[in-house]
Amino acid sequence: MLAARASTASRLARNFATVVDSAGVKVAAVDNGQPTSAVTFLVKAGSRYETKPGVAHALKNFAFKSTSQRSALATVREAELYGGFLSASLSREYLALSSEFLRGDESYFVDLISSILTSGKYLRHEYSEYVIPVIEAESVAASSDPATSALEAAHALAFRSGLGSSLFASPHSSVTLEDIKSYGASAFSKGNIAVLGTGIDQATLSKLVEKSLASVTSSASASTSPSAYFGGETRLESHGGPETVFIGFGATGPADPALAVLAAHLAPQPSVKWSQGLSPISAGLPVGTSVQTVLLPYSDATLFGLLVQGPTAQGVKEAAKVATKALKEAGSVKGDELKKAIAKAKFSAASSIDSRDGILNTLSSKIFSTNEVSVDTTLASLDQVNEAAFSKVVSSITKTKPTFVAVGSVLELPYPDEVGL
Amino acid sequence: MNALGPSLAPYIRSSRTLKKWVKPVAVWYTDLMGYRSMGLKYDDLQMEELPEVQRALGRLTPREAYDRAYRMKLASHRSVLHKPLPKEEWLNPAEVDKRYLQPHIAEVIKEDEERAAWDNMTIQRK
Repeated sequence: MLAARASTASRLARNFATVVDSAGVKVAAVDNGQPTSAVTFLVKAGSRYETKPGVAHALKNFAFKSTSQRSALATVREAELYGGFLSASLSREYLALSSEFLRGDESYFVDLISSILTSGKYLRHEYSEYVIPVIEAESVAASSDPATSALEAAHALAFRSGLGSSLFASPHSSVTLEDIKSYGASAFSKGNIAVLGTGIDQATLSKLVEKSLASVTSSASASTSPSAYFGGETRLESHGGPETVFIGFGATGPADPALAVLAAHLAPQPSVKWSQGLSPISAGLPVGTSVQTVLLPYSDATLFGLLVQGPTAQGVKEAAKVATKALKEAGSVKGDELKKAIAKAKFSAASSIDSRDGILNTLSSKIFSTNEVSVDTTLASLDQVNEAAFSKVVSSITKTKPTFVAVGSVLELPYPDEVGL
Repeated sequence: MNALGPSLAPYIRSSRTLKKWVKPVAVWYTDLMGYRSMGLKYDDLQMEELPEVQRALGRLTPREAYDRAYRMKLASHRSVLHKPLPKEEWLNPAEVDKRYLQPHIAEVIKEDEERAAWDNMTIQRK
């Protein structure tokens, strides 16, 4: 038993990364002894900071194209020779350029990603031949998915500008190559970049980053006006997908741990397969409909919501009624119910760092602001949620103007007053 | 041989004496070719029916593509009339007769060569 406890302690001790400022760039690394390493360059170039709608999306798709060091083809072929994997992803706040590779190849992959940041060529023919088709395909795919378009519309209503700007360029956007170039030039500066490594030693990574990002200009980090929450209602006609309703509430300021507890309390996903689950929502759901809790924390605002989906508008209406009722009653949760929710929230926070994506998500929200990024602080803050704080947060968030989005057959889907908002 | 064909020009340009002797002949010959009197540029004579050239044509800016189509139209009209343009409408060689397509073709060829090199590479482990 003692041995078991000792091993847990050592694993926990490894679970945090210290953020080191390496020549103006923030570097954090976690080494849990995995056989592969991953390095992610996190740039404050998400849709929140974009100068024109769709620029961030275009910049994301320009990743791994020609640089002055190697062509787009050479990037792919060399990465294949090393057996590595390259990917770019965009969130509302950050552009993440990631690479996964075998241990020992870090110098090549760090150099590859930093060459994209320092010497991207942004060729006109690459834009029209490779980038625009991908942008269009991604935008069309996103707009045909009701859940994605509901969340996009919800962000636009909830935050308007800044966090409200869409992750996707419209299929016929007017973004020019010059726009992308100037957005990239302003975003790729030292204050805007952070490097996250997993399965790699902190000192090695710092040294490599310092060397390869030496030529990056050190300008002030990107800033926008602080987010404000507005809320509102919209209905989008769409067909072919499930009927979808999103009921959201927003809060400004740093993410409140009580909201994670609220999400865990309401989430109707059962812990055991083929069972109904004990959430207040799951008992009343019509057959075939689903409710998901959505918690999207950003650096200065949070969007919390319930995504209701189902095959028929009638079923979605019933499910939305049940979900709204459960949300309104959540403030009076006491004792063991709250403890259960806290345990669930703690488990999902802790288990998220088992995967690379989870580590990236967990660290990305903190790396630009704090020096100590660990899951322990998150768990401790969840532990501190008590009945009074929880009910205060629930009542304050439900008092804000709701963000209501209906996607599907708009004639039949409910209006906010019909579901009890 | 690629789409651009063989060229002695880089060799001639590299030697001062050769350049001095050949250039007047080249200028005389270019005028004699007569494409300028039809309102065309040298790159308009480039053979089009090749995949490399087609890709290069796709890389022209909209303005360049439009101007090219316009020159072609003008030249075919002149050809129908069996008459060159009036002398004052001929292209001014120094300013206008630039190689607008050749850099794109060269780039496409370079890309194809790079792809072939990657496809046929052999790895030598140290």
